Amino acid sequence: MAVVLPAVVEELLSEMAAAVQESARSTGPRSLKFLFGSSATQALDLVDRQSITLISSPSGRRVYQVLGSSGKTYTCLASCHYCSCPAFAFSVLRKSDSILCKHLLAVYLSQVMRTCQQLSVSDKQLTDILLMEKKQEA
Amino acid sequence: MAETLRRVLTKGGAAWSGEENTPAAGPPLLLLGTPGSGKTALLFAAALEAAGEGQGPVLFLTRRPLQSMPRGTGTTLDPMRLQKIRFQYPPSTRELFRLLCSAHEAPGPAPSLLLLDGLEEYLAEDPEPQEAAYLIALLLDTAAHFSHRLGPGRDCGLMVALQTQEEADSGDVLHLALLQRYFPAQCWLQPDAPGPGEHGLRACLEPGGLGPRTEWWVTFRSDGEMMIAPWPTQAGDPSSGKGSSSGGQP
Repeated sequence: MAVVLPAVVEELLSEMAAAVQESARSTGPRSLKFLFGSSATQALDLVDRQSITLISSPSGRRVYQVLGSSGKTYTCLASCHYCSCPAFAFSVLRKSDSILCKHLLAVYLSQVMRTCQQLSVSDKQLTDILLMEKKQEA
Repeated sequence: MAETLRRVLTKGGAAWSGEENTPAAGPPLLLLGTPGSGKTALLFAAALEAAGEGQGPVLFLTRRPLQSMPRGTGTTLDPMRLQKIRFQYPPSTRELFRLLCSAHEAPGPAPSLLLLDGLEEYLAEDPEPQEAAYLIALLLDTAAHFSHRLGPGRDCGLMVALQTQEEADSGDVLHLALLQRYFPAQCWLQPDAPGPGEHGLRACLEPGGLGPRTEWWVTFRSDGEMMIAPWPTQAGDPSSGKGSSSGGQP
C-alpha cells in the first residue's frame, strides 16, 4: 500500500487473523478491540458474512466494496486509507479519534486472512465504479 | 516523490557528478506555498528531473496551460526530457475525477511521476470533506496503480502543489489537515532570505520521518532560471547562489 499501516496495527491484524482461523471466534485479541472498540467485532462480522468483495479489472487496478450492515455498499480504496462511509468521514477525517472505520478494518482483515469474494470487471466498468462514488455525493 | 524533490533541490545547488541511477521516488509529497512562491517552477523542475532518468513519461496535470515554460535549474531545457512530459488540463473537478478514475484505461507506458498543480482550485469546487478526501485518495490510488504497472522495483512518484494563503480560513485548514494525513512528506515554500537586502524563497523539505528536515534557498534570475543553494546555517553568510545545470547529463 502506498500508505503503510503502523507496524503495531499490522501485527495486531495478523494476530487477529490467526485467532479467527483457530475458530476461537468469540475470544478475539483484546488488544484489537481495545484499539478499535466495537469496530473490531463489527469488522469480524463483515468478514464472516463474506461482505467484502475485491473488484479488479484486466489493468490490475483494484477496489474493494463492502456490504454494510445497513444494506448499503461502500467503496474502499485498496492502496490508501479511504472509505466512502459516513463514519470514516466523521470519525477519521474530522475528529481523528479512530484509526480506521469498520469497513476498512474488515478489508485489511480479509487481506491478511486472504478471504474475500472476488469479482472481475472490465476496465471501463471499474472506471464507472470509481466514478460512482463521486456522483453519489454530487 | 520526496526523494525526487530532494535530488532536484540538492543537485541545483552543487556540481553533481553522482550516480544517475535513482531508484525510488520516495513517498507522496505535498508542496505548499503562497501565490508566486515558486511551486509551479519546482514541480516542473521535478518533472524534468524524473524525465531524465531513463524512466517512463511524466504526467503533469494542471488546470490551465503554463503561461510560460519555467526555466528549471538548467540554462537550456533539454528537448528530450521535455518530450517525456505529458500535460493534461482537466478544466474542472469533475474532469479531474474522470481522469483519475479512468487512468487504468489509458494506453501506453505508465508514467514514473504524477504531478498536479493547483489542487486548491479543484478542492474549492467541492468543499465537502468527503469529496476532498476521495479526490486526494484517488490521486494516491492512481499513483499506486501506475507503480503496479511499472513493475517490481519501480515506483510512480506523486507530487501535488497546493496554494496557501497568508491567512487561512477554516475550509483551508480542514483541507490542509486532510492532506497532511495522506501526504507523509511536505515541502513548504515561503518568501524569505538568509540575510538583509536579499530576497528569494526558503524551501523547507520534511520527508515525513524518512530523514531530517532540510532547507534550501531558492532565487530566480531575471531570465527565469531557478538557482538553488542550501539554506545557510549562519545568518548573513549565504553560500553563493551559483546556478548549475541539474542533471544535465544525458
